[in-house]
Amino acid sequence: MIEKTKCLPDGKHERKSQEVIHYLEADFLYYPTTDLRCPAGESCVIDGQYVKVGELIGTRKGAFFEQPIHSTVSGYVVGTEKKIHSSGQTVDCMIVQNDKKYVLHESCVPRTDEDIEQLSKEDYIKIIKDSGLSGLGGSGFPTYVKLQTKETIHTVVANGVECEPHLISDYKLILDKAKEIVEGLTLSMRALGATKGVIAVKAKYPELAGVLESQFAEFSKFDLEVKRVGNYYPAGWEVETIKSSTGISVPPGELTAKYGVVVFNVATLYGMYRAIRRNIPITERFFSISGDGIKESKNFRVRIGTPVRDLIEMCGGYTENDKPKAVIVGGPMMGNSLQNDDLIVTKTCTSLIVFDENVVEPEPCIHCASCVYSCPVNIQPVQIMNAYKERDKEAVEALGVNKCIECGLCSFTCPSKIHLTETMRQAKRFIRK
Amino acid sequence: MNYAKQTSPYIRKETSVKRMMVDVLIALLPVVVFAIYRFGWDAIIRILLSVVIMVVAEAIGMMMRVMVHPSVKGFKNRFKARFEKLTINNVTAPLVSAIIFAMIIPSTLNLYVVAVGAFFGIVVAKLFFGGLGSNIFNPAAIGRVFIGLSFASQFKYAGIDAAVGATPLGAVKDAMLNIPTVLQDYKLIDLFLGNIPGSMGEISAILILVGAAYLFIRKAADFRVTLSMVLSFSVIIFIAAIAQGSKNLVETTLFHVLGGGLLFGAVFMITDPVTSPYTRPGRWIYGLMVGVIAAFIRLFGAYPEGVAFAIIISNMFVALLDYYKWSTNKYSWKFIIGYVVSLAALGLVAFIGMGGLN
Repeated sequence: MIEKTKCLPDGKHERKSQEVIHYLEADFLYYPTTDLRCPAGESCVIDGQYVKVGELIGTRKGAFFEQPIHSTVSGYVVGTEKKIHSSGQTVDCMIVQNDKKYVLHESCVPRTDEDIEQLSKEDYIKIIKDSGLSGLGGSGFPTYVKLQTKETIHTVVANGVECEPHLISDYKLILDKAKEIVEGLTLSMRALGATKGVIAVKAKYPELAGVLESQFAEFSKFDLEVKRVGNYYPAGWEVETIKSSTGISVPPGELTAKYGVVVFNVATLYGMYRAIRRNIPITERFFSISGDGIKESKNFRVRIGTPVRDLIEMCGGYTENDKPKAVIVGGPMMGNSLQNDDLIVTKTCTSLIVFDENVVEPEPCIHCASCVYSCPVNIQPVQIMNAYKERDKEAVEALGVNKCIECGLCSFTCPSKIHLTETMRQAKRFIRK
Repeated sequence: MNYAKQTSPYIRKETSVKRMMVDVLIALLPVVVFAIYRFGWDAIIRILLSVVIMVVAEAIGMMMRVMVHPSVKGFKNRFKARFEKLTINNVTAPLVSAIIFAMIIPSTLNLYVVAVGAFFGIVVAKLFFGGLGSNIFNPAAIGRVFIGLSFASQFKYAGIDAAVGATPLGAVKDAMLNIPTVLQDYKLIDLFLGNIPGSMGEISAILILVGAAYLFIRKAADFRVTLSMVLSFSVIIFIAAIAQGSKNLVETTLFHVLGGGLLFGAVFMITDPVTSPYTRPGRWIYGLMVGVIAAFIRLFGAYPEGVAFAIIISNMFVALLDYYKWSTNKYSWKFIIGYVVSLAALGLVAFIGMGGLN
């Protein structure tokens, strides 16, 4: 309808109450040696070598950074195989055969309070770099690069909004690891020299605010606050989160550090706690499987590297009808659809959603402008579509297609079911040529 | 198992063009029922005639646009292939246009004139431009203006005293000053309830407002165009009444807002999204244009009534408002000041034109 669409059917309710299955039985775990950001990679172990939890087994190499790969189980390295990465790419993976003993590597020695007091900014950056921590909200951007900023940072925002429908991994993580997240936040504030820490959670989940606030007593030295932000989409988009939790508006496309704010996902902060306090890289994450194309939806806590096919089997497999299935990694608004379910749980995977294919035939545009009203970056998807159809490069560019964050709201809201988001992607490719 | 080739987003809102069209039909219902109550069979026949012509013409027109693969042989098969391409919106959209068209003509209009208007509106204003979503003019307004110009002598309204004029507005036309005397014939409350002569759907302000409330609550129409149009229209008429030295400023303004096709046009005609601009400021400006042009036609034009003209003239500017170099969905100070200044300047024109300086 002709209005600003903000609320999505959220599909989290039933998932929230479901228990979480802690799955440690995977026989083989797979570690991609390349990904989208890092086109090259190498391993530093040989076949048959015994590795332990938290042991360095390889490095992914990107354009301006390197990312170490750690084993998340103990066992023998048994070679490599091609598997699907959450981006949909086929990547080479190292395989570790799980001996299910979960022996911790010797390097993983917790730091005491005194040790942490003495850490300098460079030490923090080095620890985080060695832990291979990256943005676990989905971006996969290396965290140490954010810590390296030269700007003065006054506020660190912990993003626990998770505004996409169906996803509950941050929700479960906050309930489970509130103390660790708050400590991670204080550590990141120390590393950046920030004075204020804000945790943004959705207003409709008072339980999250409660469990986080109850931890603040222990960290009374720090100026911490839980901000309950709106229930709309895309409330979890960096720019919106900063706006609603601190009141600072950052123009889309600019670095938040320039405005004195750095945003970390709550899962990243948990990783920071582990890296600095306990000296262990991230080894586990929450992963949920849902959708009408799967027999039973379930929540899991799995080791990173677990093959998703094991989990699909535990959910009873796909529903048996002859409809094609859309297999989506991530949320239903922005996730990637796969053409092969031979997927590996990586650090940034949040969920697998399987939908029966729902073919929608687009009708002619009736100029209702719902897409224009709903766009969070204030561009005009319908005008971009018209200009793209005319192959008018100048107009496509002038209408600001590059501001598009591909949140999916324009397609979602369109009464004619026109696939505007896909057209925006095509228009972006078109003007790059 | 097969993998679906889809891209994000994978979920869609529970909404459709069909729902929007049906909402407009529901909003039109009180007006249509009242027209049938007031004019009986005259109304029913004219509504049905325009519905049949518009729906059939749209179906034929859309089927002619379909390219059938050469391998499909035989008239029957080719017809079937074309027919299958029609969607529910090829019925609902012309249905809306047809009912709106029937509501803005008088109940006594000759049937062949109704038929010509409906045909011209749907074929020339809509199908020639490419059907649903591609027309730049409002089909009902084009149909109405076409017959209004071609068959001017056919327009007679039932229950009009020849001495008073064509419609209450026709009477006011010559004597803006004498509204109190006209009001003795037609009280404001009559205008409000629809107890006056006039076009079939335009006479009852209250039922139009009921339809408007439904449309805006259901978000099937944008309130901005309607509000902007009524607001700018009222401002111009108010200023004109001041210029005339009228003693009943509010009554005069209300009389003009409630009389004639203004409210019907503001609620059902300019809210047609297809012929509206894409952005919020654009829609405010569009409403301003329609409101001011409608007021100017009433004040200075040769016709007593000009909402359909105003809509058609403003439709021509929609593409200009949407030009990518300046269209934006954000309200800026430039827009707000521009809006107020243009309204004030046009008000000044009305003031001078109505002899306010004498």
